[in-house]
Amino acid sequence: MHIPDNFLATPVWATLDAISAGAVGVTIRRAGRDLPDTRIPLLGVMGAFVFAAQMINFPVGAGTSGHLVGGALLACTIGPAPAVLVMTTILAIQAFVFQDGGVLALGANVFNMAVAGVLAGYLPFRLLGASRRGLAIFTGGFLSVLVSGSLALSELLISGVRMPRALVFTSFGLFAMNALIEGAITISVVQALDKLNPGFVQKPAASTGRILVVCGCVALLLGAAGFLIASSAPDAIQNLGQTLGISTQPAFQTPMANYTAGKFESAWLRRATAGLTGLLLICGLCAAGARMIARRRSA
Amino acid sequence: MHHVLVDHWSQGASPLHARDARAKILVLLVFLIVLATTPADAYVTLAIDAAVLVSGILLAGLPPISVLVRAAGILPFSAAFGAITWLAGDGWRAVALIEKSYLSAVAVLLLVGTTPLPRLLSGLEALGTPRILVLLAQFLYRYLFVISEQAQHLQLAAACRGGSSGRRQSRFRAAAGALAVLFARSYYRAEGIHRAMLSRGFGGRFSLLNPMRFGALDAVFTGAIVALLIMARVQ
Repeated sequence: MHIPDNFLATPVWATLDAISAGAVGVTIRRAGRDLPDTRIPLLGVMGAFVFAAQMINFPVGAGTSGHLVGGALLACTIGPAPAVLVMTTILAIQAFVFQDGGVLALGANVFNMAVAGVLAGYLPFRLLGASRRGLAIFTGGFLSVLVSGSLALSELLISGVRMPRALVFTSFGLFAMNALIEGAITISVVQALDKLNPGFVQKPAASTGRILVVCGCVALLLGAAGFLIASSAPDAIQNLGQTLGISTQPAFQTPMANYTAGKFESAWLRRATAGLTGLLLICGLCAAGARMIARRRSA
Repeated sequence: MHHVLVDHWSQGASPLHARDARAKILVLLVFLIVLATTPADAYVTLAIDAAVLVSGILLAGLPPISVLVRAAGILPFSAAFGAITWLAGDGWRAVALIEKSYLSAVAVLLLVGTTPLPRLLSGLEALGTPRILVLLAQFLYRYLFVISEQAQHLQLAAACRGGSSGRRQSRFRAAAGALAVLFARSYYRAEGIHRAMLSRGFGGRFSLLNPMRFGALDAVFTGAIVALLIMARVQ
């Protein structure tokens, strides 16, 4: 799910770089208030833990194995805002040192996995964590991976990367399976942690305000919108990209591509794409609003 | 291991190693942005960009084949998408996609292969990255190897006790237990690290042994390469 450079159209990565920089900046301001310097070594070492956790394989059947991604686990142990920062750092190290994900696409990857992924993963824990903790943690792991994957796929489609519909379906199937595995791993690790020391997993009610819940909902909505539109009509997102002038018209276009482009120009699709644009705008406004609130509070 | 090798490369002494981290980061950003905005059929621009990278690798004294092979780690992903684009009838775009993403990976590798990570992070901080992220990255990179080694030990121990056989459910639970132990050890290790740092007078910032200096040579280097890249793009 790490998007390399040159897969996203310039307006897409530039916008996402800006959004991620804003979101991470806000998180640093928020976290900075509750986060004494004593916690910084802890966050760094927990980042190393998430990195190293990828070496431990979980058997998932049919001879394959999965590993922890970690967004939801971090969110319910060290808290959502620190988790965003730790995941951001992991992605940056992966991009620079391991060439896993692009440097210009870092903003997109941070948005998908560190911001939207962690917030969507934290949302069920925040809302349901007190009453149905196990379910909430499982759903958190599930959603964090699914939302990240859905966003990454939507961004690729909107940038004009052509994918046949069958492939979009297959990718979503794979994302959903990975998401189930992540949910199962997260809940079983949390159960094992409870046996070691129940204090590791936070009390959901103890932390955070409404902004995080709103941002988590927005992340979830964006992921869901990407999923619905991309799976019902991948061409719709590509067309949106072209009508907005984001993705350039390919130099060579087959007659077939023209045909499908014409066929899908229905009123419903225009509404659907308008909806997605609206959601993107709302997300931007949320980030800007949260920033203003944070600034006012810290002033 | 991959990162150990890159670490080893970054310790070299060459004109490129000697440049200020900020200069190299700026040049990399300009390179990546120029490359990202280059159209698929601008062969001359792409060729000049590739030539800049190759001369960079040679100037830095890095083993060229190793660098090219290591950057090829990106190819499975971009080749898959390239194949789809090709099948969709966009042959040129497919080739450009693969070529451009590969060149980007080589460029990033050239930066980390000539700049030790502490200097790279100090450079990023000087260019405006928040201090907390830089600190996090330093801790993360420092303890990455330590904790990875622990994870390997845990796996070896599990295998020695017959962890690779048995029912899937019990193996799954055993892996979760191992991760929980790794989590707890990392957590307690961090507390120890913090106490040790305080007792040695840590002031909230890592310092470099020899401070960064953006000299005239760095300015010439940045200016020349940026000018070359932009001229190649707008030619």
